[in-house]
Amino acid sequence: MQTPNRLKPFYENLVFEKEGNQMIVNFGPQHPSAHGQLRLILELDGEQVVKAVPDVGYLHRGMEKMAENMIYNEYLPTTDRMDYIAAASNNYGFALAVERLLDIEGEVPRRAEVIRVMLLELNRIISHLFWLATHALDVGAMSVFLFCFREREFAMDLMEDYCGARLTHSAIRIGGVPLDLPSDWIDNLHKFITKMPENIADYEGLLTENRIWKMRLEDVGTLSTEEAMSWGCSGPTLRGSGVAWDIRKEEPYGIYDELDFKVPVSDKGDSYGRYKLYMEEMQQSVEILHQTIPLYKKSPHGLMAKVPQYVSATKEELMTDNFALMQHFVLVTQGMRPPVGEVYVATESPKGELGFYINSQGDPYPYRLKVRAPSFFHTALLQEILVGTYLADVVTIIGNLNIVFGEIDR
Amino acid sequence: MREYQNRKNAQAKAYYSDRFYSAPPVPTTDVATDEVFAADLKSLESKFKIAKSYIQAGQMVLFINPEDIKAVMIHLKEELAYNFMSEMSAIDFLEKAGEFELFYQMLSMTKKKRLRVKFSIKEDQAVETISDVFSSANWAEREMFDMFGIIVNNHPYLKRLIMPEDWNSYPLLKTYPLIGDEAGQWYEIDTIFGKEHRAVVGPEIRDTKRVDAKDTTQFARVRHEVPYGEAPSSKPTNYAQFQEDGGVPLITKFNGEQKTLKDRK
Amino acid sequence: MAQHKVNYLQESGLPVALTTVDKLVQWGRSNSLWPLTYGLACCAIEMMASGASRYDFDRFGTIFRASPRQADVMVVAGTLTKKHAQFIRRLYDQMTEPKWVISMGSCANTGGMFNTYATVQGVDRVIPVDIYLPGCAPRPETLQHALMILQKKIRRESAFQKLKPKRLV
Repeated sequence: MQTPNRLKPFYENLVFEKEGNQMIVNFGPQHPSAHGQLRLILELDGEQVVKAVPDVGYLHRGMEKMAENMIYNEYLPTTDRMDYIAAASNNYGFALAVERLLDIEGEVPRRAEVIRVMLLELNRIISHLFWLATHALDVGAMSVFLFCFREREFAMDLMEDYCGARLTHSAIRIGGVPLDLPSDWIDNLHKFITKMPENIADYEGLLTENRIWKMRLEDVGTLSTEEAMSWGCSGPTLRGSGVAWDIRKEEPYGIYDELDFKVPVSDKGDSYGRYKLYMEEMQQSVEILHQTIPLYKKSPHGLMAKVPQYVSATKEELMTDNFALMQHFVLVTQGMRPPVGEVYVATESPKGELGFYINSQGDPYPYRLKVRAPSFFHTALLQEILVGTYLADVVTIIGNLNIVFGEIDR
Repeated sequence: MREYQNRKNAQAKAYYSDRFYSAPPVPTTDVATDEVFAADLKSLESKFKIAKSYIQAGQMVLFINPEDIKAVMIHLKEELAYNFMSEMSAIDFLEKAGEFELFYQMLSMTKKKRLRVKFSIKEDQAVETISDVFSSANWAEREMFDMFGIIVNNHPYLKRLIMPEDWNSYPLLKTYPLIGDEAGQWYEIDTIFGKEHRAVVGPEIRDTKRVDAKDTTQFARVRHEVPYGEAPSSKPTNYAQFQEDGGVPLITKFNGEQKTLKDRK
Repeated sequence: MAQHKVNYLQESGLPVALTTVDKLVQWGRSNSLWPLTYGLACCAIEMMASGASRYDFDRFGTIFRASPRQADVMVVAGTLTKKHAQFIRRLYDQMTEPKWVISMGSCANTGGMFNTYATVQGVDRVIPVDIYLPGCAPRPETLQHALMILQKKIRRESAFQKLKPKRLV
């Protein structure tokens, strides 16, 4: 006996059957292909998609408005929940934007920079593993899902050892990082990254030359360079269409200008090219992590920037020095007041160009915070890229574009 | 007397502000210090009126007229190689200046430079779409309309994107409170059950700071749960009661003392 | 959380005497709970992780089904927004009896950290919930704990109860 309610089966002026072979299919906000809450209204002619209208907003939590009501430090855990698969990348993007607004980018200590890059690359591996797991699950290769999640568990163990949380890290703060690496973290990381290439080779062995995988992915979702540029694609989606643009190389931040890594680019523009790109990017992340280990060992102690006006002092100083405690009290209760102005900072998150636009009017709360989410523009791209494909390819393309709804809807 | 509520700006305010503190501006430099930007500015000034321009945080900021936006975008894309629009949105300055300030963030990959185009419009003024120049503006403008109510002329499909179709008012305006207005707070009850059901469910509990240690009707003290309404106790709850005492037929009996954690790989 | 006075800890007032048929049927139901994939946000990732290799969910007899007609328990994992609220109610109504709901994570319990205009402050405003599971995001072991508590609850119920109108909130 259900509580009587007003929901009747209706779908907002959509007619289900049209003339000829055309039909409207609602790819509803709840569906098993694990990408979140995408609603696609597809008009099909037989099996081919004639028109696709993506409908998003089912995970809109009002994060931009929340920012106008919270102090900068308080907002940091909210950024975790945007791209919830690689949470430290969002934290870093926000922290970097605020640091550039405050002009303390140069004050972040060396060790903090190294730890930040380690966390970022680890999150890149976590995100790409998740992408591969869910994409393979959608296309049908279900055992790859289990293999990738096994590796992901080891990587999440590392993150948990560091900051205590598996998924929503808040591991990077404005001015540095709050915690130093535990004593055996480097050894565990080393074990993880030495084993990683074998695992990547496993997945490639299962998928790369697989006839079914190739048939499902080759020439599906082809994106030309002009289309990709016009629709604002970034990250692997853009590099899969031949444009060699990686913010880590072109506009380096952190210690990326000291690290030696390659940026894979594919000229085919189809899903198979992007798949190979992701696998190669995982290898490159492993390379970067190998290089950061000696950099960490050589770095001097020091984790947070020493800018008393904006950043609290370390715990040892707080507990012993009265002025540090007073300043910390003010910063935590009222919040720090940045200068008046605006800043836009883009970083290379695993999904693409993640940008934070902060407009401050001198208050402890940002006046306007806009997040440029890469998945937002990739989902907008769907209305063009899905036309002319078959229904089975729709699932492949959605999986291949690596969209996560936390950032689309914010 | 009741507390003064600023209707024009319903966002949270810092509870203390120093009367004599004026925040310094983020440092800006003149455009002439950077040759690439100076050349771009010269090319734009020859065709359009640029009210103000400076370099802030490594990116050039230009203030143009609202009517010129499409022509400026075409010029940026074709002549000056800024062929990637990162994002565009609006800022609500209605309380301070009675206008919205729109910004368009551009990127040039060949020159590795970022540029921001800004202009202000009045509350009921509309802007021209640039979705035929940059397709990424298609959804960015829709979202701007959804959040601020700024109408975009000649847009192919200007409907609400993120909020439901029948949402009342525009969320990101400063006059809209964070927790929503009445229509927003009861939205799900009204759509699913109807207005009569509001009395059954009751209003949302939005007070985040409300905590009461002795209240056992609304709170269950973690690790010391007691039945509804009884006095709080200090006896800890036994969580390991996964299974009934006698075990479940054919299911392995859970043994709480046995440690099964193997070495982590 | 619920506005009205609902006693969550009370054993849900049933006939104490369970016949063998009751016990057998409820044993079967509790050990083959098929969840509906209802991952909405970050908690969905933890739900997937709990179904993956390390925290295997399959050993409880669960198989994640996508269709509400074939599912017993709906694990609401993630933030419910006002735009989505009518769909969760629709899917809950489409599930066949007997059905249970586990609300996973802070956002599903009470709206979580999102005290905003677009978040439903607790999924129990819209559908009746049996087990509330705190955390942000809760660990996979917590989800398994919740499932075992739900199994225990099911085994205590009577198998042939008349479709009792579940108290909404």
